[in-house]
Amino acid sequence: MPAITRRRFLTSTTGAGLAGILAMRTAPARGQQREVSYLCWNNFAPLMDKKLAEIGQRFTKDTGIKLKIDHIAAAQQAAKYASEVQSQAGHDMVEMRMHFPWLYEGQLVDLGDVVAELEKKYGKVLSSAAETARVHGTWRAVPQYHAMFVATYREDLFKKAGLKVPDTWEDLYTVGKELKKMGNPVGIPISQNYDSISTAGPVLWSYGGLEVDKDGKTVRINSPQTAQMIEWYKKMFRDCMEPEVLSWDDASNNQAIQQGKAGWIHNPVSAYIVAKQMKLPTADTINHHRTPGGPAGRHETDVPRHIGIWKFSKNAEPAKEFIRYLLGKRETYDEFIMSADAFNLPVYDKLQDHPVLKTDPKYAGLRAEGVQYHCYGWPAPPSDKVQLITNSFIMPNMIAKAVTGTSTKDAITWAESEMKKVMAG
Amino acid sequence: MSPALLLLLLLVAYPFCMALYFSVSNAFIGRPSHFIGIRNFLNLWQSDAFRQTFQNAFVFTGAAVGAKLVLGISLAMLLDQQLWFKRLIRGAVLLPWVIPTALSTLGWWWMFNSLYSVVNWTGLTLGLMDPPGPNWLGQKYYAMTAVVVVNIWRGLPFFVITILAGLVAIPRELYEAAEADGAGAFARFWHVTLPLLKPVLAIVVLFSTIFTFSDFNIVFVLTHGGPINSTHLFATLARQVGLETGRIGEGAAISLYLSPVLMLVVFAQLRFVRKQAY
Repeated sequence: MPAITRRRFLTSTTGAGLAGILAMRTAPARGQQREVSYLCWNNFAPLMDKKLAEIGQRFTKDTGIKLKIDHIAAAQQAAKYASEVQSQAGHDMVEMRMHFPWLYEGQLVDLGDVVAELEKKYGKVLSSAAETARVHGTWRAVPQYHAMFVATYREDLFKKAGLKVPDTWEDLYTVGKELKKMGNPVGIPISQNYDSISTAGPVLWSYGGLEVDKDGKTVRINSPQTAQMIEWYKKMFRDCMEPEVLSWDDASNNQAIQQGKAGWIHNPVSAYIVAKQMKLPTADTINHHRTPGGPAGRHETDVPRHIGIWKFSKNAEPAKEFIRYLLGKRETYDEFIMSADAFNLPVYDKLQDHPVLKTDPKYAGLRAEGVQYHCYGWPAPPSDKVQLITNSFIMPNMIAKAVTGTSTKDAITWAESEMKKVMAG
Repeated sequence: MSPALLLLLLLVAYPFCMALYFSVSNAFIGRPSHFIGIRNFLNLWQSDAFRQTFQNAFVFTGAAVGAKLVLGISLAMLLDQQLWFKRLIRGAVLLPWVIPTALSTLGWWWMFNSLYSVVNWTGLTLGLMDPPGPNWLGQKYYAMTAVVVVNIWRGLPFFVITILAGLVAIPRELYEAAEADGAGAFARFWHVTLPLLKPVLAIVVLFSTIFTFSDFNIVFVLTHGGPINSTHLFATLARQVGLETGRIGEGAAISLYLSPVLMLVVFAQLRFVRKQAY
């Protein structure tokens, strides 16, 4: 046996070590800094982003896992996620709104264990969040919070004119006529944006209508209930609103009530929160009430947001550790929720009467007793086809056609034909 | 392999070939895809939104390039004169082209916004409009006018500066000779300026046609393709279908739909330019 020289020892041990690393495709644990990255949206409640960074620093301090948080505008999320998935590289964790887990089902880690722990602690996940994060029975993302739509109105104008807070969409027509006469019209967008769909959905559902059936295949838009909904929009457009709603984007209704023009809008509480933060004179005059109902009940649009972990991530375990750290400890979760000033609320059953709702009497309307929350396309399960119907703005365009001269029947027939083409494609 | 060729392959050929492949496949983000021939291209024609987009693209490009050409020649001829602060004015003309499009379009969005429109405020104050003024981004003809106007504003400097370079290169003796022969201003323009500018104009129109057909920022920021898809262009519709919904096969087909036509335009114009040169 040849003598072991220093040179021979170093050569053989280095070679064996390198071979091991290459075979395992991972660096040795000792001396390796664990690190995870999280791609998160630019929160509409910016203070929540600050709080997230703060909690992230504490997480690093407590666990030794380095956390890198990047932010991206909501409008750019789809493109960025598509590129990460196509290149199988990028962040470990991603913030996913609404239907995203369905679009990326095959690319996301099963997070059932984390959700089970959270449900044990906080109660069941709210239906709208469960419908979007649990894909074909598997939790592809962990629900973290939701922003729901609510009726936002100028309480001072209502008091001045002796108007009653509307309980149904028909009631809204009655008060809307008065508001328009006062120079403060109702502001419901009828344009190619998501707020338009967020209002059209609840109105349609409350009249008993739907776009696509529960089977996710059969188009059901051509119905007497849709005709009722369109007739309601027509009279609202004529008597309660201004034509400008045809050009609005997602921020326009907020601005309309903040700047003192609109008397009633349908939006998450952001319009009020921003008015309060910017100390606008309208902040004191705005209040909220639960969403109006119709013959088929009281329905509302919900925007649940989740955290998913890409399958290509090599750091799934530390990523899960961060999700547990952020959402699994009650005091941290509370701190996180409180930072959004009621814009983003907990998505777990036992946390519905959250302390954040008691921080301002104007949040009372957010308790929304008796309101059923759904995501776009309900009751059809989320899918790329249902999503294409949403993203193609077929519903707002159907309404826009009807309020600008097309007959109700023709507008519905047009929408039905477009939806059927999407389903067949 | 030379570095230039490598760069060309990596940055131009590879993405283009990928887009070509996507357009003939049923590619969906993150899922295995299969070759489906030209089915995407055929199916698209069934969509009302796509047919509308197809029409919009020609209206938008025709109106914008036509206006930029006429205004570009006029402004270039004006700047070719002996003016005070000539350099400063020539520099200032370039500004719309220098500012990032998304940013400047946001300024225009503000001007057309129903709540804050300075355009309507001015029109109403001067008594030129009836209250509440045009619904710029909410009515289809106004919305198309708005996106065309912003495209003209943005693209005009490219026309002006390039045409100006062409004008400067025309020998002054030709004008003097024409004047000696009794040619008036219009005759000089028609028989001297325009023929000698033709190669420059062909190149400018060629580039501008391609850029305008593929415009994205202006429509995305101003109207998101609305109202009722009346301002959608191929790029904005491709984004909506390909990225927001995940159907990248269909999205790629939308963005490549006009490629054969544009290639023919490029071929014809370059041929024309070559003829003019020899």
